[in-house]
Amino acid sequence: MNMNFQDGFDVIVIGGGHAGTEAALAAARLGVRTLLLTQSIETIGQMSCNPAIGGIGKGHLVKEIDALGGVMARATDRAGIQFRILNASKGPAVRATRAQADRVLYRQAIRAAVEGQPNLFIFQQAVDDLIVENGRVTGVVTQMGLRFAARAVVLTVGTFLGGRIHVGLSNYQGGRAGDPPANALASRLRELPLRVARLKTGTPPRIDGRTIDYRQLAAQPGDTPAPVFSYIGSAAEHPAQIVCHITATNEQTHEIVRSGLDRSPMYTGVIEGVGPRYCPSIEDKIVRFSERDSHQIFVEPEGLNTHEVYPNGISTSLPFDVQYALVRSIRGFENAHITRPGYAIEYDYFDPRDLKASLETKHIDGLFFAGQINGTTGYEEAAAQGLIAGLNAARRVNGLEAWCPRRDEAYIGVLIDDLITRGTLEPYRMFTSRAEYRLLLREDNADLRLTSRGRELGMVDDERWRLFEQKREALEREQQRLRNTCLHPGRLPVADAERVLGAPLSRNQNLMELLRRPGVHYESLMTLPGAGDGAADPAVRQQVDIQAKYAGYIDRQEDEIVRQRRNDELRIPADVDYNDVRGLSSEVRQKLSAVAPQTLGQASRVPGVTPAAISLLLVHLKKRGHRLPKSA
Amino acid sequence: MTQHPLDTIVAVATPPGRGGIGIVRVSGPRAAAIAAALTGHIPAPRRAQLAVFRAADGSALDQGLVLMFPAPHSFTGEDVLELHGHGGPVVLDVLTKRVVALGARVARPGEFSERAFLNDKLDLTQAEAIADLIDASSGQAARSAVRSLQGEFSQTIHALVEQLVQLRIYVEAAIDFPEDEIDFLSDGRIATALDAVAARLQTLTATAQQGCLLQEGINVVIAGQPNAGKSSLLNRLARRDAAIVTDIPGTTRDVLRERIAIDGLPVHIIDTAGLRDSADPIERIGIQRAWDEIARADRVLVIVDDRGGVAREDRAIIDKLRHGPALTIVRNKIDLTGRQPEIVTGEFGTEVALSARSGAGIDQLCRHLADCVGYQPDGEGVFIARRRHLDALRRAQASLANGRMQLTGQRAGELLAEDLRQAQHALGEITGEVTSDDLLGRIFASFCIGK
Repeated sequence: MNMNFQDGFDVIVIGGGHAGTEAALAAARLGVRTLLLTQSIETIGQMSCNPAIGGIGKGHLVKEIDALGGVMARATDRAGIQFRILNASKGPAVRATRAQADRVLYRQAIRAAVEGQPNLFIFQQAVDDLIVENGRVTGVVTQMGLRFAARAVVLTVGTFLGGRIHVGLSNYQGGRAGDPPANALASRLRELPLRVARLKTGTPPRIDGRTIDYRQLAAQPGDTPAPVFSYIGSAAEHPAQIVCHITATNEQTHEIVRSGLDRSPMYTGVIEGVGPRYCPSIEDKIVRFSERDSHQIFVEPEGLNTHEVYPNGISTSLPFDVQYALVRSIRGFENAHITRPGYAIEYDYFDPRDLKASLETKHIDGLFFAGQINGTTGYEEAAAQGLIAGLNAARRVNGLEAWCPRRDEAYIGVLIDDLITRGTLEPYRMFTSRAEYRLLLREDNADLRLTSRGRELGMVDDERWRLFEQKREALEREQQRLRNTCLHPGRLPVADAERVLGAPLSRNQNLMELLRRPGVHYESLMTLPGAGDGAADPAVRQQVDIQAKYAGYIDRQEDEIVRQRRNDELRIPADVDYNDVRGLSSEVRQKLSAVAPQTLGQASRVPGVTPAAISLLLVHLKKRGHRLPKSA
Repeated sequence: MTQHPLDTIVAVATPPGRGGIGIVRVSGPRAAAIAAALTGHIPAPRRAQLAVFRAADGSALDQGLVLMFPAPHSFTGEDVLELHGHGGPVVLDVLTKRVVALGARVARPGEFSERAFLNDKLDLTQAEAIADLIDASSGQAARSAVRSLQGEFSQTIHALVEQLVQLRIYVEAAIDFPEDEIDFLSDGRIATALDAVAARLQTLTATAQQGCLLQEGINVVIAGQPNAGKSSLLNRLARRDAAIVTDIPGTTRDVLRERIAIDGLPVHIIDTAGLRDSADPIERIGIQRAWDEIARADRVLVIVDDRGGVAREDRAIIDKLRHGPALTIVRNKIDLTGRQPEIVTGEFGTEVALSARSGAGIDQLCRHLADCVGYQPDGEGVFIARRRHLDALRRAQASLANGRMQLTGQRAGELLAEDLRQAQHALGEITGEVTSDDLLGRIFASFCIGK
């Protein structure tokens, strides 16, 4: 049967995971008619892997999504059962929030957001085909033959494309344990002119918490007071908080793993997909780092109303009998009952170098990709892409130019630029070391970096905007006050000066100058006589302190950022033939042709492209009559 | 929207060593300020004025003409400052260094022309030439870098970059994987390693400033029989119009040496007239010193009379040099044999036929000597390449010092990380490796990361 669905939509989002829900919400928030198509409404917002949100680099992404009006941070505040700040002893730029989340509460929070969003409709049905006319996507066809017309389509199908699940040497088709794969769509997509390859990821066996002897495990409590993810959230939204635990593998565990390697799909070559190096399976850890006699395992509860736990650190695709033995060899797990076997999953992903910065495919107009389909891993990475893809799908429908943050504006910008410029050979996860402007891209200032932009784009509602403006004004007021308040050596008691500044004051100095000194902190500075009370809002107090501490370093990066920005604004026409660019080496020609960068800035970041090559390209573009800024 | 160039660039605009005048050209927004700092006033537009170029302490570096071309009526379309000073490479290098200290950056090869082109100062037909220039100059810069950073030097710098990368792996791993029990920031190993890198970088910078072959020039030994024409060759070389006696301070002029320049390349000619058996103990000390010089020489010229060819006494010297520096046979007195000047390959390698008396073949000899050490007078000068490298070394040093302070003072891993990144970036400018450094890959290979 083949029939047209009565109503047309502006944007159709396929998939209800972390990318799909952010994409659908973003598009609908911009006022276009949006349809979320999912295999199962019950699994909207499902956390398929470990029950945690955030972490180093990832927490940064979540805060940015929040500043742009996304849902992930708000849902985590309502579902988080343990909150911690990682790297708390290190500098503010690399501090990151992480929360253990109750899977059920998280799913409920996401579903409530989706159902409460005007302009957003849900339909439960698997998608088998895309309708492409003259290089443009015009709709989708579902499993039962229903045809939906749309002006833009966002594909967020996770690991479902040609998904294959491995446990030991046996394997079967699946999109996630318990769900069917999207094979019809996968084979249809393979017909499109996009580069495709396979990746692999894995999960550990889940355990019944009632069979764990917690007395033998080290407890890991959350932070108090509990951190909050969303700029407009509060700790009062958090459900009950729990304690996590840590255990570790031992020599016996390692021996069991080694004895099972001959039946490992990874070590017998059954799995071809490439797995993430930063999230290795337990068999990988033991083979590659044989000198280690123990590996940590984080025992993460799955939720408040379940006994099931997620033993983070023993992801495996070994046969079930080996999983059983290795789990029971671990301290505290001697009598553990496995509730679900661990498995590895292989799936299709598309080379993200075939995408524009908007996440629209270069070859098919109106078709956007977000999430694991682009070779990433992680809920946060998926959500960030979903937000940008949904936003740009709606902007396309509205006839507006695409928007994506730059590398100096957001980790989201780093993520997307890395993907479209370098591609990826393993599942891509965010780390702070990927960002060259790490000191600028902090969790504490994601709102200051992005809320205004989000407001202009139509993503930030009145309430968030009001709160943000309050904070920004208070911050500017306090910074101005510090610059205008001067301390005098004669009037400042020596004991106070030594306590706060480490030495007596030698000349008149304003509070901002003093704050910029190494070792001087805002809170102690405010205890000096004559310094005043300081800002009332703790977030403002913290922000004043951090900005003063990083000012020197950030000023130094400013030139580099302005230069890069200029190159990023310089567009390269899509029809440039790099063979015509005089003086380029054939190696550089190949590299640029493989990426087809959209801007000169992107071209400069293609690995192996030299500054001289960029000069040559610039000269070539100018020769072609391209309008260029002067003295780029 | 008007676009302002961000940075001010500087380079020596005249081919190295050609003629008595050398021009240092500065382009960008700081040009006027640099002129003021250097000469005491901002010169009137497009008017040549005599000025003294002063060092930071007020002492005179050189005297010459200063010219200011305000934007947009200049070669590049930006504010351009030209300093016309004396042509010696050392003087020009010192002047460039001073301009860099005043806030300019050493230009990349072809960058002045590139800016001129982008600001519509060159027409389309010239664009082709610009592309070729950038292409050729970047190759030239690479060769200059090799020249300026000889053998051991270049190995040291690669080793340094590797040490830096190792350090960064530890620091970055500690930042990105706090739950993986690899917090190196809190133990003393990072500080120790950082100090080791800083010390090595300091040694390297000192070496780059003092021991660089191109600042010292190349050593050429002239050997041969008393009547072969050695002295007339030396005189002929020293009297060439383009030859300038360079004035590197602190070098002792002993009787055995003559210092000349070939197209800007300093050349020390070592006279071995005394290379004969002697009973005089003082003379023997001199002879021993001469042999030491020969051992360090880049080239030995064995002068023979073209009428008689290589004599027995010449062979004795050649034999002694068998394991020493490469040699060239100079067949002198072709004005007497009627032979044309030429370069041929003979029994002992390259042979140059010339006449020291008439000067025929002298240019070929000079070209040959420059070629022997890979010296290219056209395109970018070696001094400017080296100045760029020294500047990069200095920036790397400053970053490391700053990072060390952050580590001890603030325990600030992320600031140390930034300083290390900057240091590596600066060194990368020297090695030409624009890092798409796979730091994460190295981290994953080094540590067992991840849950």
